[in-house]
Amino acid sequence: MLNALIIDDEVPSREELKALLASAPDVDVVGECANAIEGLSAIHRLRPDVVFLDIQMPRVSGLEMVGMIEPSSLPHIVFVTAYDEHALKAFEEHAADYLLKPIDPQRLAKTLDWLRAGARPSGNPFPGTDSVLRHIPCIALNRIFLIALDEIEYIHTDVSGVQVVSTSKQGVTELTLKIIQERTPFIRCHRQYLVNLNQIAEIELQDNGAAEIVTHSGKRVPVSRRHLREIKDKLLIS
Amino acid sequence: MLELEQINHLALTGSLMQQMSVYLVIAYLLSKTPLFAPLMQVTVRLPDKLVCYFVFSGFCIMGTYFGFQIEGAIANTRAIGAVLGGILGGPVVGFAVGLTGGLHRYSLGGFTDLACAVSTTAEGVIGGCLHFYLMRRHRADRLLNPMTALFATLFAEAMQMLIILLIAKPFDDASRLVAHIALPMILTNSLGAALFMRLILDRRETMEKYSIAFSAKALRIAERSVGVLMQGFNEHNCTRMASIIQEETGVGAVAITDCEKLLGFVGVGADHHLTGTPISSTHTFYAIANNEVVYADGADISYTCSVSKDCKLSSCLVIPLRGEGNRVFGTIKLYEPKRKFFSTLNRTLGEGIARLLSNQVLAGTIEEQKQLLAQSEIKLLQAQINPHFLFNALNTLAAVIRRDPEEARQIVQYLSTFFRKSLKRVSNDASLNDEIEHVNAYLHIELARFAGRLDIKMAVPEDLLPLQLPAFTLQPIVENAIKYGISQMIEPGTVTISAQRKDAVLTIVVEDSAGLYQPQPDNDGLGMNLVDRRIKIRYGAAYGIEVTCEPECWTRVAIRLPVEKELVPC
Repeated sequence: MLNALIIDDEVPSREELKALLASAPDVDVVGECANAIEGLSAIHRLRPDVVFLDIQMPRVSGLEMVGMIEPSSLPHIVFVTAYDEHALKAFEEHAADYLLKPIDPQRLAKTLDWLRAGARPSGNPFPGTDSVLRHIPCIALNRIFLIALDEIEYIHTDVSGVQVVSTSKQGVTELTLKIIQERTPFIRCHRQYLVNLNQIAEIELQDNGAAEIVTHSGKRVPVSRRHLREIKDKLLIS
Repeated sequence: MLELEQINHLALTGSLMQQMSVYLVIAYLLSKTPLFAPLMQVTVRLPDKLVCYFVFSGFCIMGTYFGFQIEGAIANTRAIGAVLGGILGGPVVGFAVGLTGGLHRYSLGGFTDLACAVSTTAEGVIGGCLHFYLMRRHRADRLLNPMTALFATLFAEAMQMLIILLIAKPFDDASRLVAHIALPMILTNSLGAALFMRLILDRRETMEKYSIAFSAKALRIAERSVGVLMQGFNEHNCTRMASIIQEETGVGAVAITDCEKLLGFVGVGADHHLTGTPISSTHTFYAIANNEVVYADGADISYTCSVSKDCKLSSCLVIPLRGEGNRVFGTIKLYEPKRKFFSTLNRTLGEGIARLLSNQVLAGTIEEQKQLLAQSEIKLLQAQINPHFLFNALNTLAAVIRRDPEEARQIVQYLSTFFRKSLKRVSNDASLNDEIEHVNAYLHIELARFAGRLDIKMAVPEDLLPLQLPAFTLQPIVENAIKYGISQMIEPGTVTISAQRKDAVLTIVVEDSAGLYQPQPDNDGLGMNLVDRRIKIRYGAAYGIEVTCEPECWTRVAIRLPVEKELVPC
């Protein structure tokens, strides 16, 4: 049994794909998402075997979304696009699986055959997975929004998830600290904290060898002894 | 007063010849003045005829004054003025000149006064009749001929003698007088008239040579410079142009500037007049600011080089280059070094060259705009068939066919309307109604595609629908609003299309509720920029597209167009 997730912002597109998949008895569509941000949480929550992922989506494209998922927890991705010359070129280069809209049922059947035969992600990094993030998608109070990188002061984890804190906004993101650290210039200053160096106003050193960062808007971010050295190096303080 | 017996024919001829020489010297000097210009051709215009009358009346009177008093009569060269006045000015002028000269003679008295008055008038009329006769026979060339003048005067003077014999009393005195003066006067006057005519012809030839030289230079410059500046008003082309002008005119140096900097300099002083450097001459600034020719001759208006003290240039002619609407866009400057003066030829030529350059640049701009327009239209044509839109539409259709064949049929209808309208020629005009129908077809397909995420509000007053605008103006803007606006929204969004007319300006506003507009300067791929550029090339910078954006709230695109013509609604 293959658990499939469909992520596409266009209702007719999802309908059509669902109808096509319905003819394959061993495929179970476990969820549908209308954008990449919902898609991220659905992937983490539903752990599908395969994701049919549209590329052109609001704010965060399918390619960007793939870059927001840790490769180890990445399901098999089948990109779906109507027309996108650049993306198609990238797919060919990365040997990624993709379908063109309107979807040809025979072509879809071939993809499903490969999946049944146990095809796993090719091991090549997906297109988009090496790019730097431009913003972090967040959810707060049932609203989805994006926070631009340079607005973010720090990011930390707590019991409710990964919290993104900017000067004016705060939200929870589906992205892990590890992914954010890899895809942004932010620096790890504590086991549970990433900080935007550009937002640092001052660093208060403490007796125990740790420190505390004060951001431009006056927020305080802890710095552990382990990470102080690294921050000093980055800021060229000896 | 001389007694007739005291003089012989030879002596009188000699004296009259002397007198005529003085007379001709004066004529020669006068020929250097502009007063003479109208006399150098057979005159037709009234002002020229007046000049002709005054000049030759003057000569007539002068001829009388220069004459010798001989026993109450005057041996003179008055006939020259009268006959030539008639030949050049026609019967009326001839009569007037003769009458004026005659009346003047009459006022001096003597026993031949009346005879002279009548005969002088007759001489004028004879010249005039000859003029009339030759003009009638289209032999104007024969008029300006010394031999014509000679024989006409010969005939006129012979007639004068007859008139004296007929009118002057007593007849004995008259016949004695005529016997003495007839030959010298006939000879002198005929010869004088011929020489006077020769003088006029010489003057005319000089003028012609001058204008031939002028035309030749101007033509050569024009020929050599064809199209140079049409390829762009830049340093490379301006330097080429300057060197052509310098070679042809032979002036010390030639410079071409735009309104800020030197674009080309060739000739004396090229070592320190460097292209690309800002303008520093006050004369140039003045010429640009006032749209006036500035001539710094180095004497009345001093010229000193504003770049280097050691500059050898000492006089300068600055002529503004004028583009559209007589607006100054640069200057051309001619320089002469110390101890060399500007020839009038080059000064006049300079202004002609400035016009030539201006026209070239203007033609170049028009050519460039034409090309830009053509390019924009080709790109718009390509943008009309947006593959992204097409495949998404087909994909939507595939889904809708499954769910609702009737709705699918409608979508097919919209799709065909959309493509039919898209395939219209971009360079044509369309009515606002056509544009709205095009957009409507497009939006209905997008409505199906975005099912529930897109809302459309249309607020275009009926009476504006017949207004004309370039075809394919509205659709790219609406497509942008969907592509970069609504389709990037996570929540549902609205596109509002409205239009209003204020006097002769039609403004169409397309607003989306996304507010995600990012300015992308010079992005040809954007249909919006193409539409804007096409409108600006067609109607000027006052029209086109203006984008305002409240981030995360709305993006408003206003299309401003002139109301050109209206279709009468039927």
